[in-house]
Amino acid sequence: MSTPEADHSRDPCPIVILSDFGGAFSMGVIGGCVWHGIKGFRNSPYGERRIGAISAIKARAPVVGGNFGVWGGLFSFYDCSIKAVRKREDAWNAILAGFCVGGSLAIRGGPRHTFNSAVTCACVLAVFEGVGMMFQRYMAWANKPVAMPLPEQAAPAPLGA
Amino acid sequence: MSWIFGTPEKKETPQASSNKLGFDTNQISDISSILNSNTLDPTKLHPLAGLDKDIEYLDLDEEKLTSLEGADNGLLPSRGWTDDLCYGAGTVYVLGLGLGGLRGFNEGLKNLPQGRVDPVTNQVRPVPFKLKLNTVLNQITKFGPHMGNNAGVLAIMYNLIDASLDNFRNKHDDLNSLAAGFLSGALFRSSRGLKPMGYSAGAMTLVAAAWCGFKRVIN
Repeated sequence: MSTPEADHSRDPCPIVILSDFGGAFSMGVIGGCVWHGIKGFRNSPYGERRIGAISAIKARAPVVGGNFGVWGGLFSFYDCSIKAVRKREDAWNAILAGFCVGGSLAIRGGPRHTFNSAVTCACVLAVFEGVGMMFQRYMAWANKPVAMPLPEQAAPAPLGA
Repeated sequence: MSWIFGTPEKKETPQASSNKLGFDTNQISDISSILNSNTLDPTKLHPLAGLDKDIEYLDLDEEKLTSLEGADNGLLPSRGWTDDLCYGAGTVYVLGLGLGGLRGFNEGLKNLPQGRVDPVTNQVRPVPFKLKLNTVLNQITKFGPHMGNNAGVLAIMYNLIDASLDNFRNKHDDLNSLAAGFLSGALFRSSRGLKPMGYSAGAMTLVAAAWCGFKRVIN
């Protein structure tokens, strides 16, 4: 499946890595604020719930953001590199990029762990791409071209005529 | 990032039809007068056909550039505050990660494990390379993400406040930047008391001033 036109909603390749780093980091930080705010609030004793939520956000939201950001940025980096090498855009780019990201992030756990992580990440990305393609097919099927109406035919004879 | 935050509202600018089609619709009497006119240019028929372009690069016309006064930073075109937020946070985060990583590398090299003296042979046992590498990597992963996260969070707060001020005042200028820097610095240390808040606010104001100055130099 190749895309005939470039995707104009995303910037061209080398510079989009920075945007993806920032976008994923922001997403992680903002989501982490909500998540750890609620978690810190619920896990604090009565009377310290507000301060508990704030300290949980302060301690954990940037870490969540950092994890998201590194994942997204590395993915974008590998995606761009693979695009540059393969000179084509298809689902395999994302899967290979996912493989590389999973491997890179687990590189310190030893070769076995690295490989397992890489394969897991590639599988997750493959599922994403597969679901995306199915969705695309479905949308295309829902909007399929409609045949022109047949030219006017003789109206059916009314019943009983 | 339009799939997260939604595409910015597109405003159609009414164009004169003669400008678009190559002939004036008011002067048409029948079809043959259109077809016989020499002004008809097929490349102007539909902009999406892309017949007038020979190379397809970044077509930012599809999502309009921001029309905010003074929002052009001279480095990158921006489609609005989401672009500013993503690029700003991403750049600052990567810079912080790199600087923190360098500092961690330095710390790791300073704190390398020393070889122990063997009590029997009285010789220094060399430390294995893997252990040294581990020390350095540990220090890098300790300092790098810490600095990157803090810098990135500051950048997010700065950009959000700056975008809010821009929208509120309907223009962007250095005053907005300085105020956003001050507020984000104050918010960053708001749980540590007034004095750290003041220091951090002052430092962020200086950083915002440096960024404004840098933009001036670039342009």
